[in-house]
Amino acid sequence: MSKSQLRFWGVRGSYAAPFASHLGVGGNTSCVEIRSGDHLLVCDAGTGIIPLGNELIKQDKIREMLVILTHYHWDHVCGLPFFVPAFLPDWKINFFGPGEDPRVMEQNISSQMQAPYFPVGTETWLAEINYLDPKVDSFEYGPMKIDFSNVHHPGITYGYKIEVNGKTVIYASDNECMFIEKAIQHRANELNKEELELFNEMIHEEHQSELNFFRNADILIHDAQYTPEDYNKKHGWGHSCYIDTINTAIGANVKELYLFHHDPNYDDAAMEAILKHSNEIIKEKGASLICHIAKEGMVIDI
Amino acid sequence: MGNARPTVIGVDNSPSMKKLLERSTENLDIDLTVFASAAEAWSYLQSNIPDLLILNIIMPIKDGLSLLNEIRQLPNHRQTQVIIVSSKDYAQDRILAKELGALEFIAKPMPMSTITDVVVKYTHADLKNDNN
Repeated sequence: MSKSQLRFWGVRGSYAAPFASHLGVGGNTSCVEIRSGDHLLVCDAGTGIIPLGNELIKQDKIREMLVILTHYHWDHVCGLPFFVPAFLPDWKINFFGPGEDPRVMEQNISSQMQAPYFPVGTETWLAEINYLDPKVDSFEYGPMKIDFSNVHHPGITYGYKIEVNGKTVIYASDNECMFIEKAIQHRANELNKEELELFNEMIHEEHQSELNFFRNADILIHDAQYTPEDYNKKHGWGHSCYIDTINTAIGANVKELYLFHHDPNYDDAAMEAILKHSNEIIKEKGASLICHIAKEGMVIDI
Repeated sequence: MGNARPTVIGVDNSPSMKKLLERSTENLDIDLTVFASAAEAWSYLQSNIPDLLILNIIMPIKDGLSLLNEIRQLPNHRQTQVIIVSSKDYAQDRILAKELGALEFIAKPMPMSTITDVVVKYTHADLKNDNN
């Protein structure tokens, strides 16, 4: 088997946070590299893809890559206008993401590079650019097999399951887990007994469906943007409270969880407090889950 | 002699939601069929036009909004009445549903009467009589 590694290039959500108080965790937005042999897979293209691109042009062994996008919110695509390999003629960049057909994908990606918001468009990309057919159930890229599923986030948003080197890595950068359970709690007084019973069954179904996608993952990289205090104010924004993320990971028998898509308002001290509390929860539950805060520059052997 | 019963199609992979749709409309004189996936619904919709289509959004393989977008490409479904019933109560999904011609967007959870009322509103269905 080829050597495989995963590296975090951007771990923030919503917007980049290049503040001195945040540098331990990192300030770039979502971008995760998975490399297996000479095959390069990149999950999302937030600002983290910019330093990745600058590293890539220093080597000449790899000249092709696949970028899989969870969705087109700008924190997941805003690095592309500055991604140097896209401007180089000896590169080949493949894209996959939500969309009815490759033209929609192309339009979604190129829209941010239009006047008056950007001085040049994607016509200046000299690399060979391919937009893969989005109407597939799963696909392969070299030794990696990739599945995807709709997740709970505004618009069509994917979570990806990547099988590589006999391991399963799940990337669900943006997902408000246990959403319907909380919606039902908020509106319980509007429902009669029978309705509540049916919706409680629905909670179970939705939860099982979510757990089934994450089940037994070796690595789960999952949205954990909010503290409980912030989640109380931001329920319905499409992101998870880290406690729900941990409970979901435990329920799905995940081996290692990387809390991801950190809120830009949380500095390094706040992130350490989240990790400490996360480990307390795991210990209280007697779970074997290993929990990390995803940090820029972290490299994991797969 | 009488008019044909309105046809209502639901598309939702949740068995509980299927039960809820059935309970919400059991007193209405309609023909209700619930498909558990976009693929099953697509096969039916190739050659049938329901009076009302009720779509969930998050489903395995293909979501309800992608299905709706594909349905609208079919000439005989440009005006098909569509209601979205989903737990995805996000503005972006509501806007997309509206752009795709959905008449209403109902957020789960909702009382069964909400479903009953919306089915009557768009199909003018009668209550079942004792002979039905």
